[in-house]
Amino acid sequence: MSDAITTDTADKTAPTSVPQDTARRDASSIALQGLHKRFGRDTVALAGVDLDIRPGEFFTLLGPSGCGKTTLLRILAGLEEADKGQLAIGGRDITEVPPHQRSVNTVFQSYALFPHLSVRDNLAFGLKMRGLPVGERNARVAKIAAFIQLGDLIDRRVDQLSGGQRQRIALARALVCEPDVLLLDEPLSALDAGLRSQLQVELLRVQKRLGMTFVFVTHDQQEAMVMSDRIAVLNGGLIQQVGPPREVYEHPVNAFVARFMGHDNLFPVIARNGETLTTPLGELHVANPGDGALLLIRPETLDLLPGDVEGVNHLPARVIERLYRGSHAEYRLAIAGTTLQATLNNRGRHLPEVDERVTVAVAADDLVTLAE
Amino acid sequence: MTKRTFRRALAGFWWLTLLFLYLPLAVVALFSFNAANSAASFTGFSLRWYERLLGNEEILSALANSLVLAIVSSLIALGVGCLIGYGMYRHRHRKLGWLIVLIYLPIVLPDIVFGISEMAFFVKLHELTGLLQPGLGTMIIAHVTFQIPFVALIVYSRFVGLDPTLFEAAKDLYASPAKRARHFMLPTIKPALISAFFLSFTLSVDDFVISFFTAGPESATLPIYIWGAIKKGVSPEINAIATLMLGAVAVAAILSLVFSRRRPA
Repeated sequence: MSDAITTDTADKTAPTSVPQDTARRDASSIALQGLHKRFGRDTVALAGVDLDIRPGEFFTLLGPSGCGKTTLLRILAGLEEADKGQLAIGGRDITEVPPHQRSVNTVFQSYALFPHLSVRDNLAFGLKMRGLPVGERNARVAKIAAFIQLGDLIDRRVDQLSGGQRQRIALARALVCEPDVLLLDEPLSALDAGLRSQLQVELLRVQKRLGMTFVFVTHDQQEAMVMSDRIAVLNGGLIQQVGPPREVYEHPVNAFVARFMGHDNLFPVIARNGETLTTPLGELHVANPGDGALLLIRPETLDLLPGDVEGVNHLPARVIERLYRGSHAEYRLAIAGTTLQATLNNRGRHLPEVDERVTVAVAADDLVTLAE
Repeated sequence: MTKRTFRRALAGFWWLTLLFLYLPLAVVALFSFNAANSAASFTGFSLRWYERLLGNEEILSALANSLVLAIVSSLIALGVGCLIGYGMYRHRHRKLGWLIVLIYLPIVLPDIVFGISEMAFFVKLHELTGLLQPGLGTMIIAHVTFQIPFVALIVYSRFVGLDPTLFEAAKDLYASPAKRARHFMLPTIKPALISAFFLSFTLSVDDFVISFFTAGPESATLPIYIWGAIKKGVSPEINAIATLMLGAVAVAAILSLVFSRRRPA
């Protein structure tokens, strides 16, 4: 990573994407096996987690509070000990290695900047503890400050910083140590929406430029989708699904994952005959029906045609509610005694009004089934 | 009564209370500068009683005893109390009810009970072993025992006020346990330690009862000297000592307060 920072900040002629050497690549893979963790007698945080995280990956642990995602991150950092199971980074078993001897750094949710130190000394803390000579320490702090564009923040006191500034210092303090793996515990959750999306992009760019393995914890599925190469959705101490954002969003494996990714249109499959499934909405033709007990209809795959239009996968409906959002409109439709959500892009076409009768049309390819 | 007169009455009550608290002290301080020998009237400003103090061997040795006792006992209490405060913090999630009470207890225990039991203990110990003859040594031990709870509580509350994640951040940033103590914990609680030192110092200089019971023939402190001298009547010289002590204690107390409020820079 030392090279990466140099090339990107000092040497503008170098390519922006930095080729990783293989040693580094190997050093930053993570393998978790059969991790169990219990707090007290009956709080199960992890109930057997197996996971492989690839080198250079932006990997997100996603789930509601209490799902075990933070515990998993803390076990990676060494701040929590697993009751059972193995943890290896770069093929080396570090299950028993204390946190201060792991080449892993954390960006904490509360940032955890040392109040007794200036920004500069906060940045240098990890290097000092590792015993780096002052000269090298200063050089690396200056390099990271330029890389994260801290500017004149470097000479401030920690209590003079805003939330967004603290967040960036916390990130720089972890990055300057050039760990094999960077852990981020909901690092953006304390920021307001605008700053948050700005820092999401910034964080993503930093990760891509450094090619460092990032393990990111969040409960926000939007954030997870924007940032991640792959997402692991957790619930009740178990991994529900691992995959790239599109896969997790478009093909959730079960109702929990679907709901957590923001899907509301889930309908039980009452009967099936080949590719024709009977649901409370009516009969629908599904391209690859699988054997899931629930049918997922994504709101953005629906089209609303004015009036009654006959056709395959056409369902008559009535508009109950329309939320106009500028770029798109969100609909709640009454259909066969139940309700359905739909989203229409605003491309200058007719946006049906409340109480208007419409025909819902959906392509057979866009329908998927999933387990309960 | 209108709201306005009620407010004025409250303000008046405040000033009255301050007067009640500080008038006697002000009188002592004033008469320490009295040119006349008697306390009956103030005849003019003079520093003669302060000059007389400087020539009084007994007073100077009492002053030296007071300072040695205060500084040494405060430093020892600081070391021990700091460790106890940290221990209380580290194990704050456990149910330590009665153990915590044991630390608090000396604060509310009557000084006279404390003093008598210390005396009885030291006398017995001396009879049995020949160690710890009453003197500055026994006084230091006695003072340390009542200073420890204050130090422990100040250090504990400083730790409780910290973001607990800081301890984890130090671990995460490659600090071994020894380096965490040196580079994170000690600098972070430094203002609390300075505050605790000055509070202990004040408590020690102020103390008469416990000192009285644990002192030896050679180890009279200023309060003990004053107690002896006062039997012959309140002289202007006593006023001068009292004023000096008042000043010293006020300075230490203010320093303690200042450092207890200061965030680490």
